[in-house]
Amino acid sequence: MSCHVSEDAAILEIKNKILLMGNPNVGKSIFFSELTGIRALSSNYAGTTVTFTEGRFPIGDTDYTLIDVPGTYSLAPTSEAEAVATRFTQSNPEAIICVIDASNLERNLRLALEIKRYKIPMVVALNLSDVALRHGININVELLEKELGAPVVKTVAVKGQGIDELVKRLEAVLKSPAEKCSGCGKCATCGDVDSVDSWKSAKEIFRRVVKKDDVNLKFIDRLGDNMMKPFPGVPIAIVVMAALVGVVVYGGRLLRMPLIMLTDGLIIPFFRGVFEWIFAAVVADGTTLSYRRLYYDDGFYTGFRTLIDGSFQSVEYVAYSGGFAEILLNVLVGEYGLFVISFQWIIALILPYVFSFYAAITFLEDSGYLPRLSVLFDNIMRKLGVQGGSLIHVFLALGCAVPAILGSRTATTQKEKKMLAAIICFTIPCVAQVGALAALLGAFSWRLSVLMVLFAIFMFVVVSLVAGKLIKGEVDPLIIEVPNLLMPNPKSYFRKLVIRMKHFLKDAELPMLAAVFLAAVLAGTGVIQLLANQPQVQLVVSGWLGMPEEAVVSLILGIVRREMSVAPLLLLDLTYLQVFVAGVVSLLYLPCLSVFGVLTKEFGIKFALIIFAGTIVAAIFVGGVVNQIGQLLM
Amino acid sequence: MNLYAAGKSGAFRITSVPKISLLEGMGLRRGTNVTVQNRYIFGGPVLLRVEGAYSVAVGKDVAMQIGVERVNPQ
Repeated sequence: MSCHVSEDAAILEIKNKILLMGNPNVGKSIFFSELTGIRALSSNYAGTTVTFTEGRFPIGDTDYTLIDVPGTYSLAPTSEAEAVATRFTQSNPEAIICVIDASNLERNLRLALEIKRYKIPMVVALNLSDVALRHGININVELLEKELGAPVVKTVAVKGQGIDELVKRLEAVLKSPAEKCSGCGKCATCGDVDSVDSWKSAKEIFRRVVKKDDVNLKFIDRLGDNMMKPFPGVPIAIVVMAALVGVVVYGGRLLRMPLIMLTDGLIIPFFRGVFEWIFAAVVADGTTLSYRRLYYDDGFYTGFRTLIDGSFQSVEYVAYSGGFAEILLNVLVGEYGLFVISFQWIIALILPYVFSFYAAITFLEDSGYLPRLSVLFDNIMRKLGVQGGSLIHVFLALGCAVPAILGSRTATTQKEKKMLAAIICFTIPCVAQVGALAALLGAFSWRLSVLMVLFAIFMFVVVSLVAGKLIKGEVDPLIIEVPNLLMPNPKSYFRKLVIRMKHFLKDAELPMLAAVFLAAVLAGTGVIQLLANQPQVQLVVSGWLGMPEEAVVSLILGIVRREMSVAPLLLLDLTYLQVFVAGVVSLLYLPCLSVFGVLTKEFGIKFALIIFAGTIVAAIFVGGVVNQIGQLLM
Repeated sequence: MNLYAAGKSGAFRITSVPKISLLEGMGLRRGTNVTVQNRYIFGGPVLLRVEGAYSVAVGKDVAMQIGVERVNPQ
């Protein structure tokens, strides 16, 4: 994740801050996307896992910095996020945009009243006002303005409604920050409101400004409610998760096609041509250079072939004598050449799947579906020793284990954090790995992908049960708010997607390049061959796991990055069973080096080492068992 | 009577809550009116509609510590 850590001092230094505050799930980030440009900086608050986003927000002639403060229920610093929110309000902001949920006014008003105490110029966005109307909640905006002593604007952020008006009112407030109530002695501006009173005041204001009608629920609300009923909620959940897998696997494959045409048809032949030409001119003095290379100089044809059968596997083995020039050429543009796999693996394999995964998961996240899963499956998760809320961390871990493990700090007990870390490390593949696995398995048959998903769920259950027994302590029960189901706002959806892809590139770029470099050197110099010829390696890799000897490269590269334990296998001709065993080994195998770092930081070196040793042993053991059983059956 | 044992239908008023700050933040306090939206088998959570405005799910162990009394719908 992001390593950009801001200190309190740095936040104080930001000039012209405007804070965007509110309860969780009120649509703050949509306001953020609507109000700021495309460039946004996502940062970790010093010493915490609380992330906030900041972006440029010009009003009139002045440049302001809009800060999307993490959503909180109150400013009483009982949690990390609340403490951060409180410190932001104390950092001399110019103004606060307080976003409140019109369909849930009472509780939201309470936070607005707490914020009001800081006597910072404030405008209130009465968001989700369409949902409120749908629910028969009529709010007297003028009266609410008087009660709060601040401008209130009705908004429907997902549709962009009311945003211009909000900015206009904000501009006015900024110009005359002295705008205060005349001293009625009753409203929030006048008296200090303590925490007990803020509930009481919120209730009173709510009574005065809201008129409620009885209305019938609309389709999306009924759908949202039905999704939480055991029936049809559970069948819907199964369909949703199957759709998620489908979108990632097939969406990723669709995106790969043009990229493969580009890399295999254009970029790689170009570099190969350039290097062969240089070597022929400089080194070879007339003799023929030979090296191992993939057979795809046929340019776009390969791309089309991939379109048809989903993979490329033909390898042209050319014996090479092992002279220095040939080794170098091999390292650069050979079978595992630097200029081959860095394009093939990173651009044509990993990126498309990372994109399709984030496209799907961001949609689910923004629609408010994930908390529903937590509620539906809390009973099963409890039996496994964690609570339903953990499912959200598990889904995030499908993106990357590092932020998921850091994010699990919000889990309330040490046991739950450790269990989550163990579950994530053993059984949840990261998005890049999912992509590589999808490419590997998908090239064979969709049945193999389904089998793999079932196996992953099986391992999830086993690891949870075992970890629950081994890790001592208590797990707190579920407490979670379930937001309204809604259609995500396209602008903030794409914005989030862009930010996530940027983060991925920034954080994964170096390790990926390192892995690719390692692969190129190990393979190009023949070290892999040397290793593969060791009797011990042959015993494990070929004997026990039933894989070709070259697969040893997977086990080495898998230490650096998870997907690199799969990518090299794409070059080999494997049988159904071998592909499945490879999938099993990769799933259980070590998480990457970054995860090791996070585990050490969060739980200490001992826990990290146990997880690492455990994953290696489990991967080799279970992979071998699957292979041996498979051999018997086939 | 505790929330977990309180039955499936009807409106309730909360009479006591365990000291968990998240509950208070979510508006589950003494005097809050709730209805039970869903219950889940195998020791699942209780899904509450709070003040008719929003939904909060509380796990079994917390639900058993929340005291409620039945209120007659007006």
